[in-house]
Amino acid sequence: MTQKPKYGIGLDLGSTSTKAMLIDRERRVLGSHLLPTGASAVGAAERCLEAIAIQAPIDVSRSITISTGYGRSVIESADRNITEITCHSVGVNHLNPDIRLLIDVGGQDSKVIRIGAKGRPEDFELNDKCSAGTGRFLEVMAGVLEVPLKDFGNLALGSTDPCEISNTCTVFAESEVIGHIGAGKRAEDIAAGIHASMAAKIASLSKRIRSTGPLGLTGGVALNPAFVHYLSIELGEDIWVPEEPQMTGALGAAILALDEGD
Amino acid sequence: MLQQVMFRYMLEGHTASEEGKLAWVTSGFPVEIPQAMGVTSSYPEQYAAVVGSEKVGPTVCGFAEELGYSQELCSYARSGIGSVLHPDDSPLNGLPPPQALLACNNICGTVLRWYDAVSELTEAPVFLLDTPPLDDGQSAHHMRYVKSGIHKLVDFLSKHFGTELEEGRLREVAELSTQAISLWTQCLEACKKRPSPLNCADRFLAMAPVVSMRGTDHIVEYYQALLDEVNHRVREGVGAIRDERIRLLWDNIPPWFNIFKFFNGLAKRGVVFPADTYTHAWSGSISGDDLFESVATIYSNVYLNKGLDAKVDKMCELIEDYNLDGFILFSVRSCKRYSLGQMVSKELVSERTGVPGVIIEGDMVDSRLFNEAQIQTRIDALLEMLL
Repeated sequence: MTQKPKYGIGLDLGSTSTKAMLIDRERRVLGSHLLPTGASAVGAAERCLEAIAIQAPIDVSRSITISTGYGRSVIESADRNITEITCHSVGVNHLNPDIRLLIDVGGQDSKVIRIGAKGRPEDFELNDKCSAGTGRFLEVMAGVLEVPLKDFGNLALGSTDPCEISNTCTVFAESEVIGHIGAGKRAEDIAAGIHASMAAKIASLSKRIRSTGPLGLTGGVALNPAFVHYLSIELGEDIWVPEEPQMTGALGAAILALDEGD
Repeated sequence: MLQQVMFRYMLEGHTASEEGKLAWVTSGFPVEIPQAMGVTSSYPEQYAAVVGSEKVGPTVCGFAEELGYSQELCSYARSGIGSVLHPDDSPLNGLPPPQALLACNNICGTVLRWYDAVSELTEAPVFLLDTPPLDDGQSAHHMRYVKSGIHKLVDFLSKHFGTELEEGRLREVAELSTQAISLWTQCLEACKKRPSPLNCADRFLAMAPVVSMRGTDHIVEYYQALLDEVNHRVREGVGAIRDERIRLLWDNIPPWFNIFKFFNGLAKRGVVFPADTYTHAWSGSISGDDLFESVATIYSNVYLNKGLDAKVDKMCELIEDYNLDGFILFSVRSCKRYSLGQMVSKELVSERTGVPGVIIEGDMVDSRLFNEAQIQTRIDALLEMLL
């Protein structure tokens, strides 16, 4: 490409959902789309790109695409791939340059990133081995309590006496929840215990990264108000959550795509 | 030349075994003593690295697991036990059968139990040279204790193999060992140059003789040839990799089953590893009036027998001396002694040197514990911080 790119496209292929974002040189969002990754990361990426093409028909030859997320290397149409660690940092830094510690809790992993003054990661920790610190934990527990996932957080916020969930493993915590159900505990209190237990686990991961400065939370789990509430209690700090916490990786990738062309 | 040296090692092991003069030893054992007493050594840890390199770790470890050993047990120990149980189904048909098992716990405590298990299977007796971990230097009573252990070792070998220790012979062996280690150290230090003449996998292979044949004359020749080649590369400005852009430190044993793919893959991206904590572990010269005291000092002060502070100091020193841009700590599931404390080390080393690092998880032999995608993301993120 001889001319500078006019558009940046970020494609974030997460384990649970795939996100795409299209921005122009002024960093204005022209299109964005999110859908479940399902069995094919490539297929999900293609459908996302089609969706943003409908939202904002652009001259694709004037764009650069960067893929990120766990499926980042399988997208042949991307010009380059960059890890979600860097993309989330850049995306969050664009939305709120004050954030110094970012916690991202996705469907099947969680990460904590210290963001430097220039918006780039300086240190990070990942949990991609244990499902108990991920969105999957809440999904399984909502299933046990027969509550739609989107209502799970609000249910927990109605608790007056949260149950104690001591297990930090999804499988064993499920048995523990069933025990509480059997003991006649209220669904609200069990739900609150589940959220508090997961918040404690994420807080412990975040404490591994030394940082001073405002804290941000992204990823699908940031949409859950009870998780934000309990994490804030656990860390003793206010937590900033962007409007679309699932999109920051794709946004960062799109910004990096434009930087790439410069 | 390396192949010839290692072939000779295997042949000598088999011959010694047939003559009733073979001992299996741990990697941190003072082999100069049995060597000077005419007892040949074979190394189960090195053999386990061969099991890993041959990509049969899960199979050979599986033989030990079938007997009831946990997957949590060190994969070197599982490979060792597994290959004794089923030598015909193991690489090189296993190690030649031992007449004695010499363990030194300066590298870990597992070796004793592992050798006990092998002793049950082979009926070879175990000798333990106990070197309690050091925290803040070696005290006089620690030295006396280890030295008395060396005297007991000599008694054990004398009785068991019907041999004696002559001081003159020990001095010769110690001198040969010192020469090999000195040449090896010079090869390592040449990697301070930019571009680095050796990469990680080069050093992990080239160290085999200094691990397994210290005290013999032919390995001095080998290390002299290696040093000549390394010096030639430095003079000509020939690097171990084509386009050196990032210099990293490696900590811990490598994933043997993936060693070339892993380091060569990074080399293609301009990443070289001029230093690592592992191949720098064989150092120190046995000398002075009191050779036993010298042996007790060197073998008590090995990297893994010291506290976390010493490990952090060593890593910082290597990062500074070798002008490195970052570091990778390989958390090896098997090797608790090496991997414990890496999270704290990472923080301290970054703080002191100002360079970033990352911890990746896996194993040196058991490839079932190595998740490439997870490791890739961590390393990619580190490189993005550096580029």
